[in-house]
Amino acid sequence: MTAIAAAPALSMVKIDKRFPGVQALKDVSIEVRRGEVVGLIGENGAGKSTLMKILSGVYQPDSGAILIAGDPTRLANAADANRKGIGMVFQEQSLLTNLTVGENIYLGNEAQFTRFGVVNWKSLYAAAERQLEKVKVDVDPRKRTEDLSFAERQMVELAKALTLEEHAAGHLVILLDEPTSVLERVEIEILFARVRALRARASFIFVSHRLEEVLQLSDRIYVMKDGAVVAELLAADASVTMLHHLMVGRTLQAEYYREPLQKPFREEIYLESDALTLGNAYRDISFTLHSGEILGIAGVIGSGREELTRTLAGFAPHDRGKLSVAGREVSLRTPAEAVDCGIGYIPRERRVEGLVLFLSVAANITLADLARLTSYGLIDAGEERRLAKDWVDRLNIRTPGINTLCLNLSGGNQQKVVLAKWLNAKVRILILDHPTRGLDVGAKEDVYELVRAVTAEGMAIVLTSDTLEETIGLSHTVLVMRDGEITYRTDAQAGHKPRQIDLIGHMV
Amino acid sequence: MKRSIEHFGPEQIRRWLPLATLVILVILVGLAQPTFLQFSTLVELASDTAVLFVLATGVTFVIMLGGIDLSIQSMASLASVIIALSVARFGYGSFVLAVGTGALAGVLSGVVHVRLKIPSFIATLATGGVLFSIALVISRERSIMLDDASREYQNWITGKTLGLPNVIYIGLLALAFAHTLQARTRFGRYSAAIGAGEPAAYASGIKVGRQKIFAFALSSGFAALAGVILAGRLASGSPTLAAELLLPSIAAVVVGGTAITGGVGSIWRTLVGSLIISVVRIGMTFLGVNIFAQNIVFGVVLIAAVAITIDRTKIPIVK
Repeated sequence: MTAIAAAPALSMVKIDKRFPGVQALKDVSIEVRRGEVVGLIGENGAGKSTLMKILSGVYQPDSGAILIAGDPTRLANAADANRKGIGMVFQEQSLLTNLTVGENIYLGNEAQFTRFGVVNWKSLYAAAERQLEKVKVDVDPRKRTEDLSFAERQMVELAKALTLEEHAAGHLVILLDEPTSVLERVEIEILFARVRALRARASFIFVSHRLEEVLQLSDRIYVMKDGAVVAELLAADASVTMLHHLMVGRTLQAEYYREPLQKPFREEIYLESDALTLGNAYRDISFTLHSGEILGIAGVIGSGREELTRTLAGFAPHDRGKLSVAGREVSLRTPAEAVDCGIGYIPRERRVEGLVLFLSVAANITLADLARLTSYGLIDAGEERRLAKDWVDRLNIRTPGINTLCLNLSGGNQQKVVLAKWLNAKVRILILDHPTRGLDVGAKEDVYELVRAVTAEGMAIVLTSDTLEETIGLSHTVLVMRDGEITYRTDAQAGHKPRQIDLIGHMV
Repeated sequence: MKRSIEHFGPEQIRRWLPLATLVILVILVGLAQPTFLQFSTLVELASDTAVLFVLATGVTFVIMLGGIDLSIQSMASLASVIIALSVARFGYGSFVLAVGTGALAGVLSGVVHVRLKIPSFIATLATGGVLFSIALVISRERSIMLDDASREYQNWITGKTLGLPNVIYIGLLALAFAHTLQARTRFGRYSAAIGAGEPAAYASGIKVGRQKIFAFALSSGFAALAGVILAGRLASGSPTLAAELLLPSIAAVVVGGTAITGGVGSIWRTLVGSLIISVVRIGMTFLGVNIFAQNIVFGVVLIAAVAITIDRTKIPIVK
């Protein structure tokens, strides 16, 4: 391969980055050579996004060095990274849909077309047209971006990134962050062909969850896990199974998910759904959830499991079928109705939907059940303090005090506060929506431990998770969803755990 | 002791700045005009603050939620007209009518804001216009003086008890009521939660819409009470009686340290803010500043207060 001999366009050397309570990156070194496409893979929380944010100047590393064409440099902010030749094509597309394609391509860089404060639109659109030719996409730069397909927009993003070569001194490095997630197969092929054709102009870092695509497009692949690079290999030598194995990094460790603590569930049915349907999101979903049971729902993005989770938490009522809580038919139109039915929701967006960051630990813990603390209309402050202290002790929440703002707690302890809130409200069903997202390994284990403890006492749990491994490890029963329907269901009690490969076949 | 010094960061400064400002202002005006510090002047100051404080207290509930109520001055004026027109016939029932109308108007603003999802400043700007017009129509665009019989009913406002004007007691009652509501009840806690993080409050099962509507009812009800007090003190009702009070009221809330973005604040802060506004107003009169120039000062003070109290590094976009 010629790429091996090529000079490095960009190197990151021994990068460390800490956030409160989490070591996001440790000792990460990555090199991108001229004209090379480098794949970067890892599970959610492995540190990919942090690394990308450092490269695009959003975060500063705590230690370590960034070298561009061999020279140490500092990327002060996004504009500075752009100037130094680092461009980004975002997962959530960054184009402003109310502007035209040409306006988007030169947004913030209109100066070159401006005389006496007036933009010469003719020359801007002519230049935009030349940019679009580079990526061989046939759209009128005067068209409004909202009238473009997602695939076309992705190409426009790429064209926009390529404008950097007009002012960046060196070779370009373009970060492609999950660029294929909204594209159809054919569109992906076109995107890949363009990327390959552009290698004379730029190097690429390709971040994706889709391992086949990473193998197909990349020359070399870095695998990240728990904030560190665990493998670097040539795409030619790798396979999907091998990458997956490296990413997950442990063959199912029963100990990790506290499997010995997994107890059989009870007879009593807490939640039952019969042919539950919501528009195009999901259809004919039937299951029963018993006291003490963890029901894991597996599926890729678009499988409908996210919408099903939201329905159970009261955010998106179903429109056909039947949902019963403890034998009584319900329609959960708001979270308040779900809470009244004894259902608590632990959301993926912990800092937005889980906690009020600017309220104290105590106020957050009692938030879902203040009625019990209220007599003659007044909150019993002493009782509130006592309850809050009690939960802090029982869940071992590490906080300076119960009056500390939740803002100042680490992710794992924030998650414990959310859990304490629902335990305090005495809910009987918990909807866990990616409960360990963004937590480091130790904090994850704390969460697993607590999940085992509450189910042992009879709590019923519906779980969606970032990783299949976690779903299998925690659940008693696993449902697999694809295109809005259940395609497979299996027992997953301790001792009968299904293999990931068995489930993947029903997911895709 | 060491701890408190260590923690005397920007957060602490923001917290104590309003009270420090009040003390310094009182001392400054007192130095310039020693009569200002006489007991009788201070009592006068407290009486004058009552209307502003009641008005500001109501709107504090809405601001805590992250909203705003621009209809309060129109509501206060309308309440004064209702008193002037009906007190002769209904007696004390007229006060209930006025405050009840206020609460109802607030519910209306709240419903428009919550159910139709219209930003509170538009919703209350509109209801404010409606209320102002109603006041104009029912008063036939004139100022109505209270006759002697009607004035009899104003004694609970204009009279004195134990040597102090009754308005001061009314203000203190409003303080006690509002503070209890804000600091000790579920409504108060939910307001803080909604103001600081509405999605989390909603996901925790709080009926967010209901809390908001209640807050608007309070705001408008307090505004009507302020109008009632004003009518009693001036012995008249008029559609423009409270016309200059919107800016000072909102300035009082914000100067006191309640964040205009919601979530952080208290009735005590509004009390401090109201006193600051009053001291500035009376101080200016003492120092001979033209009364019509006062809103220039309040405008500047409002902007300065927002600039100081909000940590703008945490707010990337302001609309």
